[in-house]
Amino acid sequence: MRPFARGENPKRELWLMWFAVLAFYQLYTVVFFVLTRTQPPGSPSYTAAEVPGWFASHHDGLLVGLALIFVLGGLSATSIALITYTIRRMSVSRAFAYSYLILYSVSAVPGFLFICVALTAGAMRPERDPRLQQWLYDLGFLSFSGTMGVFLVGSLVWMAAILLDRNRVFPKWFGYLNLCNAVTEVVVAPAWIFDRGVFAWNGLIAWWINVVVFGIYTGVFINLLRNVIIREDFGTGPLPDLPPRRARRHTAAAEVA
Amino acid sequence: MTTTQAPPTEAAKARRVPGQPDMWVLVLVESLIFTSYFGVYLFYRAQHEAAFLQEQAHLDLWLGIVDTIVLLTSSWSVARCVQNARAGRYPAAVRDACVTAALGLLFLALKIAEWAGHITAGHTLTSGEFFTHYFFLTVIHAVHLLIGLVVVGIVVRQLADPRRRDQQVVETCATYWHTVDFLWVLIFALLYVAR
Repeated sequence: MRPFARGENPKRELWLMWFAVLAFYQLYTVVFFVLTRTQPPGSPSYTAAEVPGWFASHHDGLLVGLALIFVLGGLSATSIALITYTIRRMSVSRAFAYSYLILYSVSAVPGFLFICVALTAGAMRPERDPRLQQWLYDLGFLSFSGTMGVFLVGSLVWMAAILLDRNRVFPKWFGYLNLCNAVTEVVVAPAWIFDRGVFAWNGLIAWWINVVVFGIYTGVFINLLRNVIIREDFGTGPLPDLPPRRARRHTAAAEVA
Repeated sequence: MTTTQAPPTEAAKARRVPGQPDMWVLVLVESLIFTSYFGVYLFYRAQHEAAFLQEQAHLDLWLGIVDTIVLLTSSWSVARCVQNARAGRYPAAVRDACVTAALGLLFLALKIAEWAGHITAGHTLTSGEFFTHYFFLTVIHAVHLLIGLVVVGIVVRQLADPRRRDQQVVETCATYWHTVDFLWVLIFALLYVAR
């Protein structure tokens, strides 16, 4: 462990990033599931005559919720940065960390910014030609659900790094959970073909089962990132084990102080 | 009362799971995910039983049986690979791993021939609800099998090089292969057998 300069507290900085990750996922859930009600997604089978009605019933939520994303969506960078930091703490080549960083930085655009721009444009002028409104609706949801392939490769990069790592940064079972998550990303691919049924973008298999797996995966990795911060010794070898819960409480209090 | 710890008994050794215990998380999660896919299939099958049965009649049960025999044989050869590696018979273990990979490739070739036959006959991913589920389940299983071929490649690499040999890695890889086989048996029972 290297000596730190006076006033320097790298662990506190890591905690700052971790709480930003927590804030981002809470914001994400509230905006997409509660405010805009864009998750679960609207039906892909809506005709041009039905889509303006969907925009009208979601108008205020879309404008307020997606404005919040435009202001605070950049918080997603903290999650990518913290994961990249943990991959760099592993014994594997830094190429894994850079691949992950680049992949997820790029995927933020189709992953959630495209849907925000397309649906805000739709909500902005409800009197627009219904066929154009339908185009924006399809663009928004297809970009959100149909581009999961970008995340698939990111998950595989993280999995490979965890399974090859000798510094025990993440448990091996989480490497295998990454594979499970990656395979469910493949399942969204038929959303480009079907506009109704279980494989459509709001379908039982393409959305509901996937979102359960992704929710569990996200909860698990946020918790494991927390454990990595607790265990971080700022050295180069294997990370120490997680201290017992009581000792952790004392250490956390000392760190915050 | 004594505090001396007894050495692990044979029973305790027997209770140890093969390979990395972590791999069993994948087995459990994949089993749960596939169970949910099967649940969705059965739900829609119950809703449109006549249409499903009509489309299901186009599947060749015997081809499904051959697929199953090929994969079960591959599971047997990967189990022999683990046994031979445990006994230090590495050339035989490498041969068994190669047989496993060859049987996996044969299964894939049979599947591709079967898909081509259905598509030529007009039964595609979008032609009917049964075939949508059929193509989805068999393709997602084939994706798992392709990953399995990479996994068997790791076993061959481990066993062929004396500096790399690690029994736990061999057993972990074999566990994955058995999971792929186990999932196929369920898919076979649901798609080909249950009428």
